[in-house]
Amino acid sequence: MKNFLKSKSNLLSIKRQMPLQAMVLPGIIVLLIFSYLPMFGIIIAFKDFTIAKGFLGSPWVGLKHFISFFTDSTFIMAMKNTVILSLLRLLICFPAPIIFALILNEIPYLRYKKVVQTSSYFPHFIAYVVVAALWSNLLDPRGLVNNFLIGAGLISKPIEFWTDPGKFRILAIIVDIWKEIGWGAIIYIAAIAGINPELYESAKIDGASRIKQIIYITLPSIASTIAIMFILSIGGLFRGNLDQSYLFGNAFNKQTSYIIEYYVLDMGFKTMRYSFATAVNLFQSLISLVLLVFANWLSGRISGNRIF
Amino acid sequence: MKLNYSIKLSAEDHIINITCCVIAFIIFFITLYPIYYSFISSISDGQAAMATQIYFLPVKVTLENYKIVFSEKTLYNSYIVNILRTLIGTITGVFFTSMMAYGISRKELKFRKLYSIIAIITMYFGGGLIPYYLVLRYLHLINTFSVYIIPSLINVFNMLLFMSFFRDLPGAIIESAKIDGAGEFTIFRKIVIPLSKPVLATVALFVGVYHWNDWFTSAYFVTNEKLMTLPTILMRLVNSAEAQEKLNKMMLSSAGVNIGSMKTGPTVNSIRHATMLVSIVPIMMVYPFLQKYFVKGIMVGAIKA
Repeated sequence: MKNFLKSKSNLLSIKRQMPLQAMVLPGIIVLLIFSYLPMFGIIIAFKDFTIAKGFLGSPWVGLKHFISFFTDSTFIMAMKNTVILSLLRLLICFPAPIIFALILNEIPYLRYKKVVQTSSYFPHFIAYVVVAALWSNLLDPRGLVNNFLIGAGLISKPIEFWTDPGKFRILAIIVDIWKEIGWGAIIYIAAIAGINPELYESAKIDGASRIKQIIYITLPSIASTIAIMFILSIGGLFRGNLDQSYLFGNAFNKQTSYIIEYYVLDMGFKTMRYSFATAVNLFQSLISLVLLVFANWLSGRISGNRIF
Repeated sequence: MKLNYSIKLSAEDHIINITCCVIAFIIFFITLYPIYYSFISSISDGQAAMATQIYFLPVKVTLENYKIVFSEKTLYNSYIVNILRTLIGTITGVFFTSMMAYGISRKELKFRKLYSIIAIITMYFGGGLIPYYLVLRYLHLINTFSVYIIPSLINVFNMLLFMSFFRDLPGAIIESAKIDGAGEFTIFRKIVIPLSKPVLATVALFVGVYHWNDWFTSAYFVTNEKLMTLPTILMRLVNSAEAQEKLNKMMLSSAGVNIGSMKTGPTVNSIRHATMLVSIVPIMMVYPFLQKYFVKGIMVGAIKA
């Protein structure tokens, strides 16, 4: 009898579970199919995959593909470019929104501040295709910037912005800042808004200058936010921005614009070396994962809270 | 805010105020000027704009460029596909993601922990491009409209945004609705959704912008030109070598006369600007309505993440 009751209440709880499970399961199925099936597909990195033979029928080849991309100079170039671009981003694009947020905070005219802030994150929402078209056009040899510089007599010959490999990196950084400075600043603006105003009051009474208030109150108050964002971006050091490299890249600046993601795309879809491309991708994912775990550990050491 | 308390502004205050305002203005100008420049170029007569560099004002204002853009079949078609994709993709994506988030945020749910682990792992590790492509291939999603919709039904980041919002909803309301005999779906539809407008708007904006701007899916998983989305077509018009030829043809077919000898008429450049604007304008239109929400939304997300 007891057992019967128990099983009946089990049945009841299953029945009660049904609607909730029905809400979650469609999403779980989508994740299983589109995120987890590809994870199992990674085995083709260790095989010579052909579509005719399928995932299971293709022969195992061990680390063959890994050895061959490591000896490919194009891959080495792509890896170097990816890391250099990421480091430049960390060095320049990372502090930019912080400085922007600090500057906005010092503006005493609320309306003006609001207008600048609201418009600053608009580029974040523009398609990269359009961003690329816009900046390619502005910096074209016959575009606005060159025409202006020639008109002002600063240069005599148009500058080849996008076909000079020596200029790609700095231009990529400029476009990145243009697109993301406002968006990136939101989190810091929020952090600054949360600072207790009494701190500033007492600082003023003590005669602290505005600069001193920034250095000794504002910055320390948002330091933990900065630290978290910094750690998060360490995890992305081995990844590049495919949109940027693909849409601004060309045969002339390939030497500096070509990144791992682009290499995977070329190997996979241009030359149809599916297994090879997957091996490259897996290598990149694993390094990124290691970086992320390291960043997480670092976060635990420094601020005491881990991301996961 | 600080001004209210200081009776007299020191010289330092003036210097800092002015410097910050000036820098902010420069950033403001650099942010918006490229878009403004594209706008005035798109409503200027192409030939006239080529003869003299325009900076702040359009020359010989005309809508000719836009007419050409909309009379071009491929472009027009991709615009329609883009609108459909964005509408359907946003509605289904927000619906499934929010529903899943609600389910997981309920403590009664069995396997709750397992489900959240399944979701969160996908944020940090994935199969990569080629296995993903092969899965799409085996499922016969390549070259279908569904490839835009089904894989992006769930976005784990957005799901976490929803969850952090749902966690703060007053549990008493849900409990009392349950006592009144309302089912989980009814509670979700009639109580949770109406209470979650800010986060719904935020996620809808994120998902919508993703769908509107994505060029990759269409470029690599779709070969049928009739199914291609606007950014992909735009990319081909802007970047490829064949683009020049195509744009020239578009101009010729609409103008009907030899362009080179004329002093007015559209150019490749002016048409490009019009095409870009056509892509930006819908975002510009929803932006003012949604921007007050997403600042809040991103802040909630940032605090939780």
